[in-house]
Amino acid sequence: MELLTPQRHELVRVRKRGVSRRGFLHTVSAGALAAGTLNLRDVMSLQAAELRRQGKSMILLWMGGGPSQFETFDPKPNHANGGETKAISTSVSGIQIAQGWEKTAAVMDELAIIRSMTNKEGSHPRATYQMHTGYIPSGSVKHPSLAASIAKEISDPDFDLPAVVSVGATQGAGFLGVRYEPFMVQNASTMPQNVATTVPTNRFGRRLGLLDRLEDEFADRGGDVVVKNHRDLYSKTSKMVLSSDLKAFDISEEPESVKSQYGDSDFGRGCLLARRLVEAGTTFVEVSSRGQGGNWDTHDNLYERVGDLSAAIDPATAGLITDLKDRGLLENTLVVWMGEFGRTPKINPRGGRDHYPRVFNAAIAGCSIKGGQVIGSSTADGTAVADDPVTANDLFCSICQALDVDPRKENMSPLGRPMKIVDGGAPVGKLFS
Amino acid sequence: MRFSACCVTTLLVGLASTASAVEFSGRGSSVEVAAEVDRLVLAELKTNGVEPAGLSADEDFLRRVTLDISGTLPSSRDVTLFGLDPNQSKRNAVIERLLESDEYAEAWARYWRDVIFLRATNMRAGLSSGVFVDWMTENLKDNRGWDDIATDLLTATGDVRENGSTALIFAQEGLPEDVAGEVSRVFLGIQMQCANCHDHPWDKWKREQFHELAAFFPRISVRPVREGNMLRSYEIVSVDQSVNPQDRFLAMKENADRIFRFSDRNRDGKLVKSEVENNPLGRAFDALLERGDTNKDGGLSLTELKAVEFPMPMQTGRGSTEHFMADLNNPSSPGQKIEPKFFLTGYSPKSGLSDQERRTTFSKSLTSSRSEWFSRAFVNRMWAEMTGEGFYMPIDDMGPDRTASLPEVLDLLAVQFSSNGYDIRWLMKTIALTQTYQRAVRSVDPGSESVPFASATPTRLRGDQLYSSIMTVLGSDNAQTRGRGQQMGAGGGMYRGPRSPRDQFSVLFGFDPSTPQADITGNVPQALFMMNSPLLAGQINARGFTKLTGLLRTFPENEDAINELYVLVLARESSDRELKIATEYIAEVGNREEAFEDLMWSLLNSSEFLSKR
Repeated sequence: MELLTPQRHELVRVRKRGVSRRGFLHTVSAGALAAGTLNLRDVMSLQAAELRRQGKSMILLWMGGGPSQFETFDPKPNHANGGETKAISTSVSGIQIAQGWEKTAAVMDELAIIRSMTNKEGSHPRATYQMHTGYIPSGSVKHPSLAASIAKEISDPDFDLPAVVSVGATQGAGFLGVRYEPFMVQNASTMPQNVATTVPTNRFGRRLGLLDRLEDEFADRGGDVVVKNHRDLYSKTSKMVLSSDLKAFDISEEPESVKSQYGDSDFGRGCLLARRLVEAGTTFVEVSSRGQGGNWDTHDNLYERVGDLSAAIDPATAGLITDLKDRGLLENTLVVWMGEFGRTPKINPRGGRDHYPRVFNAAIAGCSIKGGQVIGSSTADGTAVADDPVTANDLFCSICQALDVDPRKENMSPLGRPMKIVDGGAPVGKLFS
Repeated sequence: MRFSACCVTTLLVGLASTASAVEFSGRGSSVEVAAEVDRLVLAELKTNGVEPAGLSADEDFLRRVTLDISGTLPSSRDVTLFGLDPNQSKRNAVIERLLESDEYAEAWARYWRDVIFLRATNMRAGLSSGVFVDWMTENLKDNRGWDDIATDLLTATGDVRENGSTALIFAQEGLPEDVAGEVSRVFLGIQMQCANCHDHPWDKWKREQFHELAAFFPRISVRPVREGNMLRSYEIVSVDQSVNPQDRFLAMKENADRIFRFSDRNRDGKLVKSEVENNPLGRAFDALLERGDTNKDGGLSLTELKAVEFPMPMQTGRGSTEHFMADLNNPSSPGQKIEPKFFLTGYSPKSGLSDQERRTTFSKSLTSSRSEWFSRAFVNRMWAEMTGEGFYMPIDDMGPDRTASLPEVLDLLAVQFSSNGYDIRWLMKTIALTQTYQRAVRSVDPGSESVPFASATPTRLRGDQLYSSIMTVLGSDNAQTRGRGQQMGAGGGMYRGPRSPRDQFSVLFGFDPSTPQADITGNVPQALFMMNSPLLAGQINARGFTKLTGLLRTFPENEDAINELYVLVLARESSDRELKIATEYIAEVGNREEAFEDLMWSLLNSSEFLSKR
C-alpha cells in the first residue's frame, strides 16, 4: 500500500490520457508489482473514489448571446412559433432536433437534451453571470465561477498547467482567488501570450537562479512574506513555461484527419484545444462561441445568422464528443452546451427572436450522464415549460454530481460568510438513470 | 553615497513633542493632526509593549511616497537629489510637491476607476471608464471636496460617454438594490447587500433598512442612446412617470370599479372596444379581451376585468417609480412598497419625491457632518492604501458592529477630515507626514500577535502603479500612454477592446483596490508577462537604443553600473551582498552585456520591484 502512494499522481495521469495500457503497466511495474503481491485489479480499486474524482474534467461550450431553442434542440415545425425551421431525425429514434445540426444529431446517443430550462434573468450580463456562477450578481461579492469551484475541489495541485482555461472571455474565480482564475486564451490557433521564453531555456534557468539569490535581500529587509508568495508563483509559472505539457496548447500538432473532424472554424479549433487540454490534465475548459465570432443574440435576421452559427458549432460539438469518445476520455469528461437564456417564441418584425429566460434548452454529455434522452419539454407553442422544469441551480447540482463534487460544499467569502458552491436546486435524477 | 534618515527623525520628534498637548476642538493643520496621530499610536504601542520600527531611510521613503501620491517610481535623478538634500523639511516639501503634480490627480482618478468598475455588475460599464477618469482627474486637480464628488456621483444624469459622474450608477445598471449596495460600501464602508434578501446574519441591519436605502433610487433609468440604427451609448435619466406596464396594470386593477363606470358609456355592464378607444384602457384593450373574455361575448364585464391576470410573471422594481421589497414567500407578487429612509441618520423625506429630489436629499444627508461613517470610510481607505493596513479590514467592511484597531486615531482623522471640508490633499498630506506612515518595513514573526502600525507593511503595487513604474524604468514617455477618454465620432462603435497600452496592462494587472492586501499575490499570466513579454524583452537589451545600453556606456566600471541599475529599477543603491552576487554572476557569465541583461531581468522580476516597501 505505502509503496503505491507516490505513484498515485502517475496513475491519475494515466487515466486522464485514456486507458493507455502500456503506460499503466509501466507505472505499476515501477511500484507495487515489483513487490510481487498486487495485481492490476487491486491497484485499480485502490483509492478508486479519489482517482475517479481527480480524473474528471469538464468542457463548457458557451453559447454567448442566448441560443434560440427553436433553432437548436427544441424545434416546433408544426406551430407558427416554430417559424421556418424544420426538425431532423437523430441517431436515437423518436428524438428530433433542428435542421442545421445534422452532425450533432448523429451523436445523439451520447447527448441528453434538456428542453425545460427556466430562469428569470433576461439581461445578458446578469444572466451570463448567473449561468457561470450559480448566483445573481450582487454589487459587493464577486462569486466564484463554477469552473473555479470545481477546480478547487478536483484539480490536481501538481499539474503544470492552469486548472481552468477559457478560450474567450469568461467570469473569474471571484473570492476563490488567483489559483483558480481562468487562464485566458484569445485564439486557439496560436500559443498563448508570453509562454515562450525570449532567451534560450538554459539562460532562462540561469536568470531564475540569479533572481532567487537576489530575493534574499528583500526577504531580510522585511519583505519575507511577499518574497515567499512571489517564489511560489514564480516556481509555478516557470514550471509551466518549461513544462512538456505546454505543447497541449499547440493544436498544430494534431493530424489533419482529427482537425477536420471539428470543422474549419475558430470555435472548432477552440474545441480541439479543449480536448488536448483535458487530455493533458486540465480540469475545466470553457470554449466561448462569442469569443470566436459566434454571437447568438439574434434579434434580427434569425435564419441566416443561426445558419452561420450552426455551420461552425454543429461539427465542432459533434467532433468534440466523437473525439473524446474515441480516446476513452468521454467517460471522465463532462461536456455541457448552453447559453445564458433562450429566445422568444414569437418572431419579431425584424425577423429575429428576443430574450426569453422562461424556457430555454441545454445539452449535456459524458461522465455518468445517460445519453440519448430528452429531459422535460416545453408547451406546444413554446411559451412555457410543460414538464420537469430545470432551474440554473438544478443544472449546476447535476454538473456537480456528474463530477463527484458536493454542491453544498461551503467556501468562505471575504466577508466571512460561508457560501455553498450551489445554493439550492437538486440534481436532475433522470440525467443519471 | 549612503542615505540617512537622522535629520528627518529630528524633525518629526520635534513636531511630536510640541504638538502632543493639542486638544482638537476645531480645525487642525496637517502637521498638528499628524503629530497627534503619532502620539496616540505610540501610546498604544507602548501599552502593548511593542517597540516601533525606526523611520525608513530616505530612499525607501521617497519611493513609497512617490508611489502613493503620484503612482509611479521616482527617477534616478530624484533619488540622488533627495538623498543629497540637506534640508530638514525635505520630506514635507516632497509630499507637497507630489500632491500638486498632474500625476497625482491622474493616478488617483485611475484608483477610483478601479474601485468603481472592478465591482461593476454591468458588463457594459467599461464604456464610461475613460470619461470617468478624465472627470475624476479634473476633480482631484481642483481639489474638490469628497462630499462634492460623492454628491455628483449620486445625482448624475446624462450620457455615460460624456459625463464621467454617471460612472457609479451606470456600473450598477441603475438598479436600485445594486446602487444601494455599492453606495453603502463605497461611501460608508458598510456592507449591506446581504440584507437584500434577509436580515443581515450578524450585523444589526434589517432587510427593510436596506430596501429603504434602495428606495432613494427607483426612479433612475439607464436608456440606450441610438444614432440611427446604431447603439451609440447609454444615458442615465430620471423617470418620474411610471413606464412599467406592471405598475399601470396594478393601478388599473386598483381602480377597476371607477374605470369601469367611467368607460361603460351605454351602461350595459360590458366594455367593448368602441367604448374605450379614447381612454387609457384603449391601447391594452385587445390584450385584455384576449385573456379576460371568459364567456367569449366580445366584451368585458366588471368581474371579467377584475379577474384578468398580468401576462408576465410579476417582477418587482424595474421601471417602477417606487421601490418594492420582494415578498420572499411569494416571489411572483409585486412585493411591498417601501419609502426612502437613511438607516444611519434616520433621515426620511416625504413620500412621492421626484428622482432628483430623492437623490439630492440623500446625498445631503450622506455627506452631512453628522454622517460620521462617510468620513471614516474615506479615511480608512486612504490610510490602508498608504500604510498597507486599515483600521478596519477589509477596508469596505466597517460599521458600528465591527471592531477597529485604534478607533480613536480613525475618529481623530475622520473628524478633522470633515472639519477641513473633506479636503483630500489635506488628508493625504496628514497621513504622509505621520511617523507611522514613515516607518521602515520589518519582518513580523507570523506566530506572534501582531500589533498594527508598529512598522510599515509591504504591499503589492496596483496594476496602474506597476505600469507607471515600468515606464519610468524603461524611460518611455509616460505622457503618451495616459488614459484618455474614448473619443467619440462617426463610426465609433461602442464595443471596442482596451485602448491604450496602459489600459491593456491594467486588464492584466488590475485588481480591486478594496481587496485586502494579504489576498493579492499575483497570478500566472502576470508572472508570464514579466518573465517573457517581448515588449519588456525588447527593452532589457544592452545593445539597442535602450536605457541599459546608455547606462553601461556611462558606467564602464561594473560596480558603478550595478549600483546605478539598482537605483534605476528599485530606487535604491545595492547592498554589499547584492553587489557581490551580481559581480560574481557577471564573472561567471563572462559576457558583460548578457550578464547585465540578466541582472535587469531579475530586478524587474523581483518581488521588491512589484511591491511598495
